[in-house]
Amino acid sequence: MATTSEQLPLLAENDNKVPWYLLDLPRYLKGFGILTVIYIGLRLYQGAFAVLSGLDSTEPAFEQYWMRLFKIELGVLVLFVTGMWGYLWFSRDRHLDTLSPREEIRRYFTLTMWISIYTFAVYWAGSYFAEQDNSWHQVAIRDTPFTANHIIEFYFNFPLYVILGGSAWLYARTRLPLYAKGISLPLTLAVFGPFMILVSVGFNEWGHTFWFREEFFAAPIHWGFVIGVWFALGVGGILLQGVTRLIELIDELEEKP
Amino acid sequence: MSANLTKQIFRPYTGEKARITRAYDYLILVLALFLFIGSFHLHFALTVGDWDFWIDWKDRQWWPLVTPLMGITFPAAVQAVMWEKFRLPFGATLCVTALLIGTWITRVFAYHYWNYFPINMVLPATMLPGALVLDAILMLSNSLTITAIFGGAAFALLFYPSNWPILGMFHEPIEYGNGQLTVADLFGFQYIRTGMPEYLRIIERGTLRTYGQYAAPLAAFCSALLCSLMYTLWWYIGKWFATVRYLNKI
Repeated sequence: MATTSEQLPLLAENDNKVPWYLLDLPRYLKGFGILTVIYIGLRLYQGAFAVLSGLDSTEPAFEQYWMRLFKIELGVLVLFVTGMWGYLWFSRDRHLDTLSPREEIRRYFTLTMWISIYTFAVYWAGSYFAEQDNSWHQVAIRDTPFTANHIIEFYFNFPLYVILGGSAWLYARTRLPLYAKGISLPLTLAVFGPFMILVSVGFNEWGHTFWFREEFFAAPIHWGFVIGVWFALGVGGILLQGVTRLIELIDELEEKP
Repeated sequence: MSANLTKQIFRPYTGEKARITRAYDYLILVLALFLFIGSFHLHFALTVGDWDFWIDWKDRQWWPLVTPLMGITFPAAVQAVMWEKFRLPFGATLCVTALLIGTWITRVFAYHYWNYFPINMVLPATMLPGALVLDAILMLSNSLTITAIFGGAAFALLFYPSNWPILGMFHEPIEYGNGQLTVADLFGFQYIRTGMPEYLRIIERGTLRTYGQYAAPLAAFCSALLCSLMYTLWWYIGKWFATVRYLNKI
């Protein structure tokens, strides 16, 4: 069987009571925890400084509190995407043809955890901070595309879920035989469709050069975001692909009490 | 389809295999919850948005028409997978519950605690009764046609009455500045928003509130017709997205 860094935890007998198919569960829970701290931290930052220094982009305080945060976010995202995608690619399994059913099952669980982390980021970007954008622009006139909520939503949350979705795609492509042989259409739709939401920011901000209030949140200028998020329904296809393969793999396992 | 299912012999997993499948179920549950809160909420906020955000936008012309029409989309798409492939009869209820969780969290923390809108001004509407009926009709009929016609219509027709106990008190008439308003209107005039001109241009345009009690039921029946069509369309959109194809290149 091929041995990669992915399998090292399996080689050492796991004595921490976590079943072999859930070996990545602690990392998954840590991922949830880290993301929760980041998102709540950003929301608390908004609560502390948005009204104080985020109403007028020409004020020096805006540069200090908001544009500096924007630059920090970009730096963190560049480092994260380089490190994560680089790790996933360079640690790829080059001997997928000799993968055991047990290891493949474990990797399907890890892929599901990756997609789950991706959907958690989609929650913050698509639900909380997206609607919060309406709340903010109903009380604050926008005089820049870098408003106190956009700096979080458009330039951090959107790229972050794209990076996490891309990580799930790369994980599947580099570690699971079926995803390596062919490109999964539903997984690609579920990752690249919402990526187009990030691209729609350009259309949205161009439109808002004509309308600097938030007159109408359901206006057609926002529908680029809507079409992008429909592609998240591709997760149904990923589930079907995963369940079909898992049934085959589980049937190959020996019965154990 | 159900006749074929009963002929098959299912041998439930036991032991470790049962634990593996159960653990996978829990992972999917967490994944699906955040997926539908995030995706359905974004779709909903940017198509129904203003009618759901504000108490004074919940009028009799557009709100009962637009909300079920856009709200039946994801439930239909998810039912197409959950019922057809897994025989799980709660696709619509799952979507609408996820949406409610997302909207409530946002209304409290983004509207009330950040920008000080009174929570009564930003109460989300509910589509839960309609979603329960939609799921029940699909489960009992096992038919896309029957669910589209009767479930889609019920989803739209139940919307206004199921929200009335929550929102009716804000439609009480009051006299203010020598004019007649509702309590909801007064909220809107007291808490000025940048979207104010659009509210005045769109809400109850044409009726001037002189169309008596008929505007809301007319909007609901119009929505019922459109929901039947929208349900069918989104059922097939859901099926299309749930493809299991692998491609050679993209």
